[in-house]
Amino acid sequence: MLNRRNVLAAFAAAAIGLQGIGMGAAPAAAQDMVDASLRLKWLTQAQFAGFYVALEKGYYKEEGINLTINPGGPNLLTENLVATGADTFGLSGGTDSVFAARDKGMPIVCIGVSHQVTPFVFVSHKDGPVQTVADFKGKKITTWFTGANHVLSAMLSKVGVDPKEADIQPQQVSVTPFVDRQVDVVTATRYNELYVINQRVGKDKLDLFVPEDSGVSFPRDTLIVSEQTAAEKPELIEKFLRASVKGWKDAFANEKEAIDIIMKISPTLDRAQQEFMLTEVKTLMTAGKASTDGLFTIDKTAVGSANDLLAQYGVISKPVDLDAAFNASFIDTIPAEERRL
Amino acid sequence: MTGVSTSAATLPVASTGRVHAAVKPVLWLALGLLAIEVLVMALEIRPYYLPRPSAIAANIMATPGAYLAGLWRTFLETALGFVAGSLFGVLMAVIFHRWVTLRELFFPLFVVSQTIPVIAFGAVVVLWFGNTLFAKAVISFYISFLPVTVNTLLGFSSVDPRQVQLMRSFGANDVQILRRLYLPAALPQLFVALKLASSLALVGAIVGEWFGDTTGLGVLLLQAMYNENVVGIWATIVVSACLGMGLYSLVSLAERKIVFWGGEQ
Repeated sequence: MLNRRNVLAAFAAAAIGLQGIGMGAAPAAAQDMVDASLRLKWLTQAQFAGFYVALEKGYYKEEGINLTINPGGPNLLTENLVATGADTFGLSGGTDSVFAARDKGMPIVCIGVSHQVTPFVFVSHKDGPVQTVADFKGKKITTWFTGANHVLSAMLSKVGVDPKEADIQPQQVSVTPFVDRQVDVVTATRYNELYVINQRVGKDKLDLFVPEDSGVSFPRDTLIVSEQTAAEKPELIEKFLRASVKGWKDAFANEKEAIDIIMKISPTLDRAQQEFMLTEVKTLMTAGKASTDGLFTIDKTAVGSANDLLAQYGVISKPVDLDAAFNASFIDTIPAEERRL
Repeated sequence: MTGVSTSAATLPVASTGRVHAAVKPVLWLALGLLAIEVLVMALEIRPYYLPRPSAIAANIMATPGAYLAGLWRTFLETALGFVAGSLFGVLMAVIFHRWVTLRELFFPLFVVSQTIPVIAFGAVVVLWFGNTLFAKAVISFYISFLPVTVNTLLGFSSVDPRQVQLMRSFGANDVQILRRLYLPAALPQLFVALKLASSLALVGAIVGEWFGDTTGLGVLLLQAMYNENVVGIWATIVVSACLGMGLYSLVSLAERKIVFWGGEQ
C-alpha cells in the first residue's frame, strides 16, 4: 500500500514537474504565435510546393504563424471555407472563382495571384482534323464548365466561329477519350493533364492552342482571405505572404528538395510527374508581370480581362469592382526584388 | 493483398477447425489472379484499361507505408462511424418501437435525411468539423444508421404478441421485455443490417476523405484518379476491398458467436 502510494506520489510529482516545464516553455513561444490555416484547392502535390517548403523549413514559425495546411478536394469550395472563417487563408480556383464569389456577395478578398497566365491550353492531334482555332468548328471538344468553357467561347468568337457551332462537352477526369481520338480537342492544364497526354501521345504529335495567343487571359490559383481578416489582421497577411514567397523561392531554387518534401507527404505520387509539375508551375508563376514585379503580383490588366470576359458571358451579373476584390496592398509591402526569382 | 485475405479467410478456421475450407478460397483467388495475369498479357490489354495483378502488387509494395497508413486511418474512421451509427440505429429503433407517435413524426425525416447526397452533406461537415478524423466518422455514421434502424424495427415486428402478453402476465416490465424478448428476436435481422452498414460506413469514410485530407484510402484513390495513375487506382481498390472484406468478416464472426441459433448459416 505504502509502496503504491509512493509510486503514485512519484508519478504526481513527475506530472507536475512536466507541467511546470511545459508551462515555463509555452508562454515564451505562444506569446506571439498565431494559429492559422491555409486551404489548398487540391490535394498535396508540387503545384503547392512553395507552401510546404515554407512550412517544412519553419518560415511560418519564424513569422510567428502556427500554420496548418489543409488539402482541398472535389466539391470543396475554398471561397466558402475562407468566407465562413473555417480557414484563414485559401489558395482558391482562380480569378473565375473569386469573381463568382464576389458576385454572390461572399466577403472574400484576393491578396495575390499565383498563376499569372492561363494555366490551361487546348490540345489537338497534329495529324488530326484540327490545325487552327477556326478548325474547332463542328468538332468534338471537351472542356471544364468552370470557366475554361468561356475562355474557349472567347477564343472561338475571336476567329468568327459561333461557339454553338462546335460540339462542346463537359470534360471528365480522364484524357483517354482524346488519346483514343473519340474527341478532337481536349483541355489540359500545363502542369497536370498535359503531362499525361505528352506521355501517351507524344509531345511532338500535339498542337497546343494557347488562350493568350487569342488575347484571352485567365489567371488562376488565387490567394484569398476574408474581408474581416483583411481589415483586422493586415500584419498576419503580410507575414504569411513573406513566408510563402520565401518558401516558393526556395522551392524554385532547389527543386529536388521541394519534390522530396512533397513526396514525403504523399509517397504514392509519381516523382517524374511532380518534377514536371513544379517546372510548369514555375513558368506560370513567373510569367507576365511577375517577371518584373515578382511572385503573387496582381496584374490588374490580366485580371480585368477575365472580369470582362465573365461579365460578357453572363457568368457574373455585372463586372466586379476590381479594387475591392483584389487588394495588392499586402503583397506590395514585400519589395519586388525580394519577390523576384 | 493475399496476406490480408488469408487472415480474413482463416477466421472460420478458428471457430470451426476446417482448414480445408479456409485454404480453398485462397487457392481459387490465387488461380483467378494468375488467370487474369495471363489473359492481360495474352490479349495485350493496355495497362490503362486493366493492369496486370503483379503490377498492382508491385505498386503497393513500392510504397507499403502509404497504403498501410491509409488503411489504418480509413479503418479508424469507418469503425468509429460504424459503431456510432449502429448504436444510434438500434437506439432509434427502440424509441420508434416504444413510442409510435415519435415514429410517425420523425421516421419520414430519417428517410429524407438519406436522400441528401453525401457529396452535398460532406461540404457542410467539413465546415463544421474541419479536416478531422471525426468529420469522416460523422459521414460514415450518417450513411450507416438507417439500415440498422429499419432492420431492427423489422425484427421487433416479428415478435409474437402472445409472447409479450405472457411475459407481461408474469410481471415483466418494459425494459425486461426489451432485453429478453425484443432484442434477441431482432438479432438475426440486426446482423443483416450490420453487414450492410459495415460496407456503407467504409464508403462513407472514403467519400469523406474526398473533402480534403492527407492520409486515407480515399485520398490515395483521388490522387491516383486525377493523375490518371490507373495502377494506383487499382492498388487502392484492392486495399479498400481487403478492408471491406475484413470488416464484413468481423461482423460475420460476431454474428456466429452471438446469434448461435441463427438459421442462416
